[in-house]
Amino acid sequence: MADTVASTSSAVEVPAARSTSSPKWRLPVDGSIVFIYALVLVVGVGAAIYSERFRDPANLTNVLRQTIVLGLLSIGQSLVILAGGIDMSIALIGRLSTLIVAASFGGRDALILPLIALGVAIGALLGAVNGLIITRVYASPFIVTFGMFSILSGISLAIASGPVGTIPPPYLNMYDATIGSIPISVVVMALIWFAAWLLTSRTQFGRALYAVGGSQRVARLSAVPVSRTLVIAYVLSGVCGAAGGLFILARTGVGDPKMADGLEFQSIVAVALGGISLSGGRGSVLGTLGGVLLLGVVANIFNILQVDSFFQQLILGLIVLITVATYRTSKAST
Amino acid sequence: MSATTFELRSSGPSPALIRAVDLAGQWVAPVACIVVLLLARVFVPQFYEPGNLTTVAIQSSVLGIVAVGQMLVLLVAGLDLSVNAVLGLGAVIVISNQQGFSITTLFIALAIAIGVGIGNGLLIAWRKVPPFIATFGMLIFVNGARLAYTHGQASGNVPAWLRVLGIGQIGPVPNAVLCWIAIMLLIGGILTFTRYGRYVYAVGANYEAARYAGVPTREVVMACYIACSVLALCAGLVLSGYIGYVDQRLGTDFNVNSIAAAIVGGTTFTGGRGSLLGTATGAILLTILLDLVVVAGVPINWQLAVQGAVLVAATAIQGMRGHLLSR
Repeated sequence: MADTVASTSSAVEVPAARSTSSPKWRLPVDGSIVFIYALVLVVGVGAAIYSERFRDPANLTNVLRQTIVLGLLSIGQSLVILAGGIDMSIALIGRLSTLIVAASFGGRDALILPLIALGVAIGALLGAVNGLIITRVYASPFIVTFGMFSILSGISLAIASGPVGTIPPPYLNMYDATIGSIPISVVVMALIWFAAWLLTSRTQFGRALYAVGGSQRVARLSAVPVSRTLVIAYVLSGVCGAAGGLFILARTGVGDPKMADGLEFQSIVAVALGGISLSGGRGSVLGTLGGVLLLGVVANIFNILQVDSFFQQLILGLIVLITVATYRTSKAST
Repeated sequence: MSATTFELRSSGPSPALIRAVDLAGQWVAPVACIVVLLLARVFVPQFYEPGNLTTVAIQSSVLGIVAVGQMLVLLVAGLDLSVNAVLGLGAVIVISNQQGFSITTLFIALAIAIGVGIGNGLLIAWRKVPPFIATFGMLIFVNGARLAYTHGQASGNVPAWLRVLGIGQIGPVPNAVLCWIAIMLLIGGILTFTRYGRYVYAVGANYEAARYAGVPTREVVMACYIACSVLALCAGLVLSGYIGYVDQRLGTDFNVNSIAAAIVGGTTFTGGRGSLLGTATGAILLTILLDLVVVAGVPINWQLAVQGAVLVAATAIQGMRGHLLSR
C-alpha cells in the first residue's frame, strides 16, 4: 500500500490531486489574490481621492517603506503557515536578536556587518529551536511558539528594560538611503518578495512546503522530507524575524525593548488576508504581499485621520474576525 | 490482539515506552509540585511564611478557575486565547460603574462573556476557523473594546462584596479557594455524571465518530467556549477583589498560564484527554513557580521565561504522549 503511493505520486502532484477531487473551474490566479489586490486598489484610490496628504508621492513612498518590516515578518510567517505550522514567536525573535545587536554595537562602524550576521544567526538559531521542538516531539506549533514568545520576552527584558545601544550612523543608511526619490530599502524589499515568490513556487523546497502543509502523512509517504522542510521553514521564519528587527533598528536608531510589539499577530493577519489557508498547504506569498500592502495603506490612513489607537485596535480585531469568518473552509479540520 | 502487538513493535516505540510517556504526562504536575516544594524548603525558606502561602492559595484559585475553562476547551481540541480579555473587560464593567452590589452590571458582564463564547463557538464550530486564530482575533477585538470603553484609564472602587470574595476567609481557608472548589465540583459533576460531560470527551476524542453517533458536536464545542468565557469572568471578579483595583494590565498573563496549567496537568491539545484534578495541580505548580521567582528576589521578567518554559516543556511531553497514544 505504502509502496504504491510512494512510487506513483511525487510531491508536486499532491496539491493537484487534492484539487481534482472537487472539479471546479479555477482562475489561473487564485481568486483570493485578485480580491485582495482589488481591495488594496479600492482602498488606496479612495484614500487618494479623499485625502491630499495621502496622494502626496512622498507619503506613498513612505507607505511602501513602512510596510517593509511587516513584509519581512509576513514572508517568514507565510513559509511556516504554508507548511501547516505557525510562528507566534517571530516578532520576539526579531526583538531579542536586535536587542543583542544593539547592545553590542557601541557606535563602532567596523561592527556593522559582523553584527548583522550575528543578528541573523541568532534568528536562525531560535527558529531552529522552534522547528526542532515541533518536529521531534510532535508538539502543537502554536503552543510551542507561544511558549517561546513568553520565554523570549522574559530574556529580552533581562537584556534591556530601557532603550539600549549606540548605533553607528552608517547603519541608519539602511533605512535612509535613496536612489533619486526611491528608497533603496524599498527596492531591496521588492527583490526579497520576488525571491520569496521564486522560493515558494519554483523550487523543490517550495513544493515540499505545500506538500507538508497539505498533508504531512501524504507528504511522508511521497518521500518528502517532512521534518527537514518544517525545520527549514522555521529557520527562515526566524531569519525573517531577525531581519525585520534589524530594519526597525535602522529606522529608530536605538534598541527599544518594546519594539515589534504585536507584529506576530499582524503578520498572521496579513497572511490570512492574502488568502493563504491557515491550516496550511494552499495560497501564495503574492497574496501575502497584497495583505501587507492593505494593512500598510490602512495604517497610513489611520495616521492621517488621527484615529484613536484604541479604535485602531478595535478595527484591526474586527478586520480579523470578518476575514476569518468569511474564509473558505473546504479543508476538513479535526 | 497479537497482531496489534506485532504492529506496534514493528513501527518503533515499545508498549513500555508508550506507557511510560503516558504516565509521565499524567503525573508530571503532582511530582513536580512535590519536588519544587521540597527544593523551596531548602533554598527559599521564606516561601513558607503564612502570608505568602495565602497569596499562593488565592492566586492558584484564580488561575485554577481560568484553567478549568481552558481545559474544557482543550478537551474539544480547541484553545481559548480570549480569556484574558474577557477577564479584564468583565472586571472593568463590574467595578468601574458602581459602589455597591449591582445586579445589572453583573448581568451585562455575564452577557458579554456569553457573547464572546458564542462568537468563538460560531467561528470555530460552524466556520471551522482554527481556534487560535478565531480566539486571538476575539482577544484583539475585546481588548480594543475595553480600551475604547475606558479610554485607557480604568479606575473605580472595588465593591465590598468582591473584596470579601477576593481576600475574605472562612476559618483558615480563603474564600477564593472555596470558589475554586465549588466550580471544580460543579464542572466535575457535569463532566462525570451528565450526558453533556460524556459528549465533551467524545467530541474531543474523535469528532467525526461523535457526529456519526448523533452527538450535537457543534453545540457541544460552543458550550465549552461559553463555559470558558464565563469562568474567565468569574476569575476576573475574584482577582480584582483580591488585588483591590483594576488596571489595564489586569489578567494579561492568563492566556499563557491557563494553557500551561491545563497542559502540564495532563490535558493533551489534541483533545479528549484531561482531568480536573490534573489541571488543578497544574495551576498550583505554575503559581508556586511564579511565586518563587518573586519570593527568591529574582527580577520579575524571569516570570515570563518561567511560564514560557513550563508551557514548552509541558507541550513537549503531552505532544509525545498524544502522538504515541494515537498510533
